[in-house]
Amino acid sequence: MGYGHWDDSAYRAGKTFRARAGEDDFGYTAQMREQPYDTWCAHPLLDPFGVGVRECRDSAEHGNSLPVAVLFDVTGSMGRVPRIMQDKLGKLHGLLKSKGYAQDPQILFGAIGDADTDRVPLQIGQFESDNRMDEQLRAILLEGGGGGQKSESYELAAYFLAEHVATDAWDKRGKRGYLFIIGDELNKPRLAARHIRAVIGDHVRRDVSVESIYRELAERWHVYYILPNQSSYYRDPEIADHWRGLLGQNFLKLDDPGAVCELIALTIGLGEDRVDVDTGLADLRDVGSVDEADAVGRALGARPSRRIRALPPGK
Amino acid sequence: MVGTEHLVVVDLGFGDAGKGATVDWLCAPEAGLGVAAVVRFNGGAQAAHNVVADGRHHTFAQFGAGTFHGVPTVLSRHMLVEPIALAAESEQLAALGVPDPLGLLAVDGRALLTTPIHIAANRAREDARGSSRHGSCGRGIGETAWYALEHEAPTVADCRTPAILRGKLDRLAAHYDALIGPSAHGYESIDALVAMYRDFAGAVRLTGDGELARAAARGRLVFEGAQGVLLDEWRGLHPHTTWSTVEPRHARAMIAGIGGTATVLGVTRTYMTRHGAGPLPTEAPLGNPEPHNGTGPYQGAFRQGHLDPILLRYAVDICGGIDGLVVNHLDVTGTACAAAAYETTAGPVAELVPGRWRDLEHQRRLTDLLSAATPVLEPVVGDPADWLAHRLGVPVVLTGHGPDRHDRILRRPVLGADSAGVGARLAATAARSA
Repeated sequence: MGYGHWDDSAYRAGKTFRARAGEDDFGYTAQMREQPYDTWCAHPLLDPFGVGVRECRDSAEHGNSLPVAVLFDVTGSMGRVPRIMQDKLGKLHGLLKSKGYAQDPQILFGAIGDADTDRVPLQIGQFESDNRMDEQLRAILLEGGGGGQKSESYELAAYFLAEHVATDAWDKRGKRGYLFIIGDELNKPRLAARHIRAVIGDHVRRDVSVESIYRELAERWHVYYILPNQSSYYRDPEIADHWRGLLGQNFLKLDDPGAVCELIALTIGLGEDRVDVDTGLADLRDVGSVDEADAVGRALGARPSRRIRALPPGK
Repeated sequence: MVGTEHLVVVDLGFGDAGKGATVDWLCAPEAGLGVAAVVRFNGGAQAAHNVVADGRHHTFAQFGAGTFHGVPTVLSRHMLVEPIALAAESEQLAALGVPDPLGLLAVDGRALLTTPIHIAANRAREDARGSSRHGSCGRGIGETAWYALEHEAPTVADCRTPAILRGKLDRLAAHYDALIGPSAHGYESIDALVAMYRDFAGAVRLTGDGELARAAARGRLVFEGAQGVLLDEWRGLHPHTTWSTVEPRHARAMIAGIGGTATVLGVTRTYMTRHGAGPLPTEAPLGNPEPHNGTGPYQGAFRQGHLDPILLRYAVDICGGIDGLVVNHLDVTGTACAAAAYETTAGPVAELVPGRWRDLEHQRRLTDLLSAATPVLEPVVGDPADWLAHRLGVPVVLTGHGPDRHDRILRRPVLGADSAGVGARLAATAARSA
């Protein structure tokens, strides 16, 4: 017990009690479902509109903060991933801390939808290092929409991370954070200025190319895209080619969606040079994630056990 | 149902005699006792009451041992309630097919709360004692009771009022800071605890004074004791005791409070057992199998000894007499000896005399006497249950011949035994065993 600021036991107990009281693990979503759809909005904790910056700062206790952002596609069947995440949040944080993958991880959660069709296409929480992470997750609205055009507004989330996040890791140490986007579709063809204006509130007049926003993002973030085996898109070569084109080998296919927490933890451990693949997989088995370790091993496949590159070689 | 005969189940030894299996049996519809609720009246989450039935096994800690039958549990004001463990136990029970376990609970708001702060303090203190540990489950029971003696301690009802609870937890943490700080133990942020306790208060039914009467209006109550009466805080073998009144006075008082009568059943095995340090005069390496009791890091070793009617007689006396015996582990062979007397520095002793209540000097002298005692053993002739009934002058109600619910045999009706009086019961038992 006791990974510094995170102990899974009160969290688990609270979850059990809330379930008994009929409070959904995604209580905000349950609350919204009782209201007319046209009144749905992001929880104030997660509303990206008019936000100056989301900050990931060092503190007296946490002098070496490492920003980790996890953004879910919450459209359609992808809604299951946040539930898995919530179930294993304690394990993710525990793995990062207890196995020494990261000294002071601060985790931000967010959710991605479709800015063309959804009420709430973007939600961005705060960086947290304690049980408040769970609060952020619970406040996520699982809208479950998506327009069926095989694309979601991932590029809008990328824009927010590039323009509206400040981290001590970068400002003081020149160190990049980790961004994981978990989804199963393509970016919109362009980063639309009207989406930025409507959802984030920045007065942007011209559309931006998707490539350039990911290029800007990669200066301060190791960006990963995880495609879990949740839908027919898992085997769609267009999806794979699109993301490989943007992120190279940081496009990861995960055949067991239940292993997403473990994949994130180990990817950070590898990126931080704290562990190699074999040791990391042994660590996962050590904490009881035996099946998950196999899936993570397959997702990381023939990857070298050395540092993972954030971007493919320059174009 | 004024005047209803309610049942109290206590362990006549040091715990582990089979209270769980007994309570489970009493709650079974086949027993025909119409049990409406199981009431816990002492201890807390350290209890370990095993029930094996229908291919299921659970070690009950805070939930009553009637839970497999869907019998609700009342955690009375004398309980020490640990919500984190309660949540975990409810998950285990749900996994065993019990529908909505938390819905079976009623928790008295006046019950003290055992928190991770108490638990960390307990473990830090036991670690500091090193090899001179005096036996503890490491579950914060003693710290909970002890802190509450001199401080305004957090209670179950406080969980509903985060501002009050937070103040109490802050003061509790400050009180233990010097003990826990340098130790290897810790606890979560008080914010996280307060939030979780609020969820707890929202998920279980918190009750007060009227709950027992309400439950009794629906049927019979079974008061399930924890631990063993020889560990009683005032009547046990001091200082190797627990911070809890184990003998049934609290149960008797609660029953009197709702106008009922108490039938007390004392549970024992055909041999003695003890966890951790303290006197066990008939201790011997019997090597009887013990599937559910290991050696805990704070509890110390699990010990065994020959049947000891002298200790058991003392246990019956400090219970204010009992109405029936439950004798378990009759399937274990090779326990054919029992203590007839002890050789002690003060000469032979065949009887232990209870002192005044709360006279710890007396209890300490008993401990010293027993620590230096050598048992004089005699053979147990015939059926050990009948033999023991004769020695203790208490009839056998139920015997256990294995861990499963179906291994229990009813020897005489559970209720109504007391109408005949002790003398008649003794005579009847003696006649039967002759």
